[in-house]
Amino acid sequence: MKISCVDIFLFFGGESMSNSLLQMNTIFISILIEALPFILLGVIVSGIIEMFVTDEMLAKVIPKNKVGAILVASLIGALFPACECGIIPITRRLMAKGVPLYAAIPFMLTGPIINPVVLFSTYAAFGNNWNMVIERASVAFLVSVCVGIVLSFQFKEPQVRHEMHVHHHETTIGKKVVHGIKHIIDEFFSVGKFLIIGALIAAGMQTFVKTSLLTSLGHGPVSSHLVMMGLAYVLSICSSADAFIASSFRSSFNESAIIAFLVFGPMFDIKNTMMMFSQFKTKFVFILLGYVVVFVLIFSLLLVR
Amino acid sequence: MFRVLTLIGFTFIFIHLHVTGNISKYINMKYSWISFSTIFVLLALTIAEMVFYWRGEEEKHDHVHCECGHDHGTHNHKRSLWWYPLYFLPVITILCLPVATLDSNIVEKKGFNFSIYDKKDPYSSHQFLQPNTSSFYGQEAYDEMMQKEFKKYGTKDTLNLEDEEFLNAMETIYDFPGEFVGKTISMKGFMYHTNELQKNQYFLFRFGIIHCIADSGVFGMLVEFPKDVSYKNDDWVKITGKIDTMYYQPFKKTIPVIHVIKVTSISKPSNPYVYRNNQ
Repeated sequence: MKISCVDIFLFFGGESMSNSLLQMNTIFISILIEALPFILLGVIVSGIIEMFVTDEMLAKVIPKNKVGAILVASLIGALFPACECGIIPITRRLMAKGVPLYAAIPFMLTGPIINPVVLFSTYAAFGNNWNMVIERASVAFLVSVCVGIVLSFQFKEPQVRHEMHVHHHETTIGKKVVHGIKHIIDEFFSVGKFLIIGALIAAGMQTFVKTSLLTSLGHGPVSSHLVMMGLAYVLSICSSADAFIASSFRSSFNESAIIAFLVFGPMFDIKNTMMMFSQFKTKFVFILLGYVVVFVLIFSLLLVR
Repeated sequence: MFRVLTLIGFTFIFIHLHVTGNISKYINMKYSWISFSTIFVLLALTIAEMVFYWRGEEEKHDHVHCECGHDHGTHNHKRSLWWYPLYFLPVITILCLPVATLDSNIVEKKGFNFSIYDKKDPYSSHQFLQPNTSSFYGQEAYDEMMQKEFKKYGTKDTLNLEDEEFLNAMETIYDFPGEFVGKTISMKGFMYHTNELQKNQYFLFRFGIIHCIADSGVFGMLVEFPKDVSYKNDDWVKITGKIDTMYYQPFKKTIPVIHVIKVTSISKPSNPYVYRNNQ
C-alpha cells in the first residue's frame, strides 16, 4: 500500500515534487494534530454553555443605556466561550429576545477571541508568552467597543434578515445533556472542515510559497497588517486554533501584524461571513466588515513600536 | 454514518500516532499529553455519535424545530455531504503516505531568515541562523536563562553538542560569540549551500521544533573547510572544529563560524529534529 501511493506521486510529479507534497502533507497533519485538541476543548465548553446558560439570563444582564450596554455586552462576550461560528446563532437569538444590535454585535466580536480556551491556546502557541495574549485581548476589546459605538449611532433597526421566534429548550437534565452533546458533535463537524482546509492551505504555503515572496508583499507597516488580515480571512481557522497557525508566520511577519491576524480572523473570515449573510442583511454585513477592518488596522498599528 | 466513520477515523489517527511513536515526527513531545488526552475525548464523542446514529430518525425529528443554526441532521445535512471526503483525507494520508522529514527544500521555501522582532527595524528580516527565542519568553526571564546557559556551556573548552542541548547551546553561542572563540565544538547536522557562499563554506543546519513542525525553523552555523569540498544539500555530517567569528556580507553581520578540523559523513538520524525543551 505504501509503495503504491508513493509511486503515484512519483509518476505525476517527479521526485522533487513528490517530496514537496509529502512534506506538505506532514506539515498539514502536524497542524491538525496540534489544533484538533483545542477545537475539541472549544466545542465542549460551548456545549456546556449551551446546556446550562440560557439566553434569557444573558439578556437580563444587558443595561438599558447605550455605552453601558456595549461595554457589558463586550465583557459578556469576553466571558462567553464560543467559536466564531457558534456565536452567530447565539447573537441572533439574543437579538430576537430584544438585545439591541449595537450590543449584540460587540458580544459577537469579543466572544470568539477573549475567552479562556482561545487565550490559553494563544499562550501555548507563542511559547508560554503572556504578551501576545494581553495584546490580542485588548485590541479585540477596543475594536468591538468602537464598532458598537459607531453602530449605535448609525442603525436603529435590527438589520436581521427575518424575524425569529424564540424556541424553548429541553427542560430535564438528561435531555439537556443529550442536546449539549449533539451540539458538541455538530459544532465539531461544522468547524472541522474549515480547519482541514485551513491547515491544507497553510501547509501548502509553507511548502510551495517562498516566504520572501510574502514578506515582499507585506513590507510596510500598513501593507503587512493588511496581508495578515487577508490571510486570516482566507484561512478561516477557528479562533481556538488560529494561534498555532499564526505562530508559524512569526518568522515572516512582525508581532503587531500577527496581532492583526489574531484579532481580525475570529471576527471575520470566509466561513463566518457566510453564516452572517444567512442571518443579517447583506448590506449590513459589508458595512460591519468595513468597520472591523478599519478598527483592527488602527489598533494593531498602534502596537508598532 | 459518515460522522461515525469520521470520528472513528480521527480517534484512530491519534491512537495510531501514539502507538507507533510517529507523533514525535509531528510535534514536540513535551506537548504529547494534549494529543494523548484527545484520544479519550474523541472516543467518547464517537460512542455518543454511534448512539445517536442507532437511535436514528427519531432524534432527527426531535430537532426540526430547533433553529440554533447548527446542522442537526435535518435540512442542512444533505447540502454538507460533499464535505465528508475532506474529513477522510488526513486519515488516508497518515495511513498511506510515509512521514516526510523537513530538509533543504523547506529551508529554501521558508528561508533561513528568522525575522525575529528587532526593536530598531521591525520590518527588516535580516537576522538569521541565530535561534533567538527571546520573543517566546519574557525579556527578563530570558536574560536570566541565558546567563544560566552561558555558565553551562561557556566554561567548557570542548563542546560536544548532543541533540537535547543543541538549540540551547546554539543560542548561547550566538549571544556570547566572543566567549566561544577558540573553543572546540563538534556537532551534527545537514549541509546547506547557497550561491552567496564560497566553495569551502557551508551551513550546517538542524530543524528545531518549538511546538509542532509547522512552527519549526532551521538553526545552525556557518562552517568553513580548509579547502574546497563538494557536499550535496541534505548530506548529514558530524563536524569537529574551532569556533571563530567572521563578518558575513549577505547579512551585514558578524556571525560565528566553525573552522573544520575533522568531518565524518553520517547517515540521517532516525529523529532528525531537535526540540526546545526547557522553559
